[in-house]
Amino acid sequence: MSIFTPLSGISITVPKLNLIYLDHAAATPLCQPALDAMLPYFQRDFFNPSAPYLPAKHVRLAYEAAKDELAHVIGAKGADLVITSGATESISLAFSVLETVSSPNPTALILATEHAAVLETAKKYSHKKVTVKSDGLIDIEGFKKQLTDEVVLVSVSLANNELGTIQPLAEIAELIRKVRQNRLSRGLKTPLYLHSDASQALSLMDINVARLGVDLLTLNAAKCGGPKGIGALFVGHGIKLKPVTVGGGQERGLRAGTENVPGLVGFSVAAKYAHGHLNSSRKKYQGMAQILRRELAHTSIVAQDDEKVKGNQFPEPIFLGNLKHQLASFVPVCFPGVDAERLIYKLEKEGILVSTGAACAANKGTKSHVLTAIGLSDTEIAGSLRISLGSTNSIEQIEHAAKIIVETVRHEYARALPCKQHIGMKNRDEKNCCFSRGSGATARTSASALQRQALTTRPEKNNNSLSEGESNV
Amino acid sequence: MSKVFLGMSGGVDSSVSAVFLKEQGYDVTGVYMKNWSEDLPGMKCPWAEDLADAKRVAVGLDLDFEVWDFEEEYKKRVVDYMLAEFRNGRTPNPDVMCNEQIKFKLFYERAMSRGADYIATGHYARTEGEKLLRAIDENKDQTYFLYRMGLEATTKTLFPVGAMTKPEVKAFAVDRGLDVATKKESMGVCFVGEVGMKDFLSHYIDVAPGEIRDIETDTVLGAHDGAIFYTIGQRHGLYLGGGLPYYVVKKDLAKNIVYVSRNLNDSHLWKERISLESVKLRQAPPEKGIMVRLRHRAPLVPVEFRDSELIFEQPVKCPAAGQSAVLYAGEVCLGGGIVAG
Repeated sequence: MSIFTPLSGISITVPKLNLIYLDHAAATPLCQPALDAMLPYFQRDFFNPSAPYLPAKHVRLAYEAAKDELAHVIGAKGADLVITSGATESISLAFSVLETVSSPNPTALILATEHAAVLETAKKYSHKKVTVKSDGLIDIEGFKKQLTDEVVLVSVSLANNELGTIQPLAEIAELIRKVRQNRLSRGLKTPLYLHSDASQALSLMDINVARLGVDLLTLNAAKCGGPKGIGALFVGHGIKLKPVTVGGGQERGLRAGTENVPGLVGFSVAAKYAHGHLNSSRKKYQGMAQILRRELAHTSIVAQDDEKVKGNQFPEPIFLGNLKHQLASFVPVCFPGVDAERLIYKLEKEGILVSTGAACAANKGTKSHVLTAIGLSDTEIAGSLRISLGSTNSIEQIEHAAKIIVETVRHEYARALPCKQHIGMKNRDEKNCCFSRGSGATARTSASALQRQALTTRPEKNNNSLSEGESNV
Repeated sequence: MSKVFLGMSGGVDSSVSAVFLKEQGYDVTGVYMKNWSEDLPGMKCPWAEDLADAKRVAVGLDLDFEVWDFEEEYKKRVVDYMLAEFRNGRTPNPDVMCNEQIKFKLFYERAMSRGADYIATGHYARTEGEKLLRAIDENKDQTYFLYRMGLEATTKTLFPVGAMTKPEVKAFAVDRGLDVATKKESMGVCFVGEVGMKDFLSHYIDVAPGEIRDIETDTVLGAHDGAIFYTIGQRHGLYLGGGLPYYVVKKDLAKNIVYVSRNLNDSHLWKERISLESVKLRQAPPEKGIMVRLRHRAPLVPVEFRDSELIFEQPVKCPAAGQSAVLYAGEVCLGGGIVAG
C-alpha cells in the first residue's frame, strides 16, 4: 500500500519533444515525478476513497495528504481547498458566492482582460468590467470608481493568460479591505470578496493567499506540469458557496463525485515541484526571453540580401504588456502588418509551435478581447503572437526558433511589399507603405526602445507588487 | 503569370488543386468562401476548422490567402430558396444553387474584378471552352451539381482534379504530407455538415408530427415528425417495423400525412415522362444519344428531351420534385432542369 509521499530531491526529466513547443500557456506536459506519483492510483490503489475497508482508507489518506501538500504551496490548509475538474469549474464555483448573499443586486466586478471562463461565468450574474491600461495593468482609478456598494465579488486574474501581465493583487486587496471597513462603518452588510484566477501564475510566482489577500483563488494543474482535468478553488473562512454538483457530499458538499485521486496526486506533485524551482525557472525563462526579444528585433533590420526587398526596412516588433510586471515565460509580441495566423502555420512546418492568444479564442476566429482591451489596432492584433516558454525549452531551441521566426516574419513582410513587382526599388515610398504603425501606446515596447531602456534605465522598484522579487518574474 | 483565385474549402480536393496550380506556375490566391458562420444546433463555429485547414494548406504553399464573405447572399440565394422549397413539400438541391449563384457567379465576378485570369475549385469535372465535361473518375463526377454554372464562367474555370481519380488525389495528398489527406469527406450540404438536414430544418421551419398511412388501405402505420422531412421514394428512416420495406409515395402537406407503399411498382414511384422547370441548357441537345442523370451518382439513362419534358422508353423511378435532372451527350454535360411537381 502506498501512502502519498511528498516529493524530495527527485531530479526531473522533462519529456523530450522533437518539436519546439512555445505555447506553455496553453498546456504543459506532465512532469515525470507527477506521472510516477499518479500511476499507482490508476490500478493498484484504485479504491474509492469513501469505501469502508482499510485499503480504501489508505487511498483517502493519500488524497488528503496530496491536498495538504497542494494547499501548503499557496500557504493554505488542505481543508481550505475544493478540488474541481479544472480551473473553469473552480471559477464557476467561486462565482456562486453571488448566489448565497442576501444583499440587493449582488454584482461581480471583473477585469476586461479575464479569460473566457471568467467572462462567460460573469455573464450569468449582474457584472461590470474594469478596464486595463495599455500595458495590461488594471486601471486602479477606474476600479475604485466601479467598486460600488452592490459589488460582492471582485475577480482579477493574478497573471493574464495572453500577456502574462501580473496584476497588483495586494494593492487591490488593500483597497477592498478599506471598502469593507467603509461599508461596516455605514452599517452596510453587503460582503465583498476578492477572487483571483492564478492558473498561469502558479508555476512562476510565489503565491501566498494571506499575502495576496484573496478570499478565493483558482488553481489549475494543466498549466504547471500537472495533469489535465483537475483544478482547485481555495475558499477563505466563512465564505458560503453553492455546490456545482450534488450527490455523495465530497469536497465539503460543494463538488460531489468520486475524488480524482491520481489527478490530485499529480497536481500536488507538479505544483510542489514548480514551487521548489521558482527561482531557477524564472532565471531560465528570463534568459530565454531576453534572447528572444533581442533576436526578434532583427525582423526590422534593413534588407540587404534580396534584390526584391533591398533597402526596405521592415517594422520593429512590439513587445506587448508591461515588461516589468510580466511572467518571465511570456513573450507576447506583435509584428505589425504580418498575419500571425500565417506565421503559426509556417512555423509549425518548421516544428515550432506558437499560438495567437488563448486557444479557445483563436479557434473561434474572433479577435482577442485582451489585445483589444489594451488598445491594439485590428492590424496589430492580427499580427500578434503569444510565445510562452516552459520546461520543454532549451537555450539552443530558443536560439533556433528565434532565427526561424525572424526569417519567416521577414519573408512575410517581403511578400506583402506593395511594390513587389518593382524589382530593385531602393527605398520604400512612405505613402505607399503597408506597414503603418498604430498609435503608440505607452507600454508597447518596441525593440529599439527595449535596447535603449536596457542601456539607460534600471527597472524601478515596484511597490505595488506582491512581495519582494515578484516584479519582473 | 496567370492569376488564379482558387476556392479552398479545407478539403483534400481543393488542397490538392492548390498544389497543382502552384506547381504549374500559376499566381494562386486561395480563397475561403465564408457562406455560413452561424452556430447550428449542437454545433458551434462549424466553419472555423475548415477555414483553418484551408489556410494551413495555402500558407504552407506560401500562397496569398483571403476570406471572402458571401454570407448575406448565400442566405438569400441558397438557404432561403432551400427552405421555401422544403416548405412546399419539395426536395431541393442547395449545392446546385450554391454553385450557380455563389461559386460560379459571385466568386467568379469578384475574382475577375480583382484581375483574375481564371478561377478554380476542387470539383471533379472538366472544362473545354464553354463545355462542361464529366470527370475522369465516373464515381466522383460532380457535373450533376455544376450544370447550371454560367458559360462565361466555364471558359474561365479550372478544375485541377477533374482529370484525376479520387484515390489518386488522396495518394497525392498523402505523398505531399497534406494534413487534410485523411480528412473526413464532407457529405450533403456544405454548411449543414454534421448537424444533418433534419436538425437544420427543424430550426427554421415549424413542423408537427403526423401520421404515416398505407396508400392502398389508408390505415395508419406509424408516425412521422414532419411531412417536409420525407422525400418521395425514400425507404429508410420510416421505422415501420420489419418485413418488406415501405416507400414514401405521396405527401399531403395540408393534412400533414405521409403515404407509403410496399409496392415498389406503385404508380407514384415510376414515370415515363418527367416535366422539368427552370431548364438551363448549356448547348442545344442533339437529336439522338441523350442520356440523363436523375440523382448524383445514379446511372445514366437514355432519354428523349422535348419541350422541357423527359421521355423515357421504359418507366424510371421518379426523383422527388425539386431535384435536378441533368442531360449528357457522351462526356459533355448539356445542362438540365429541376423536376416539376
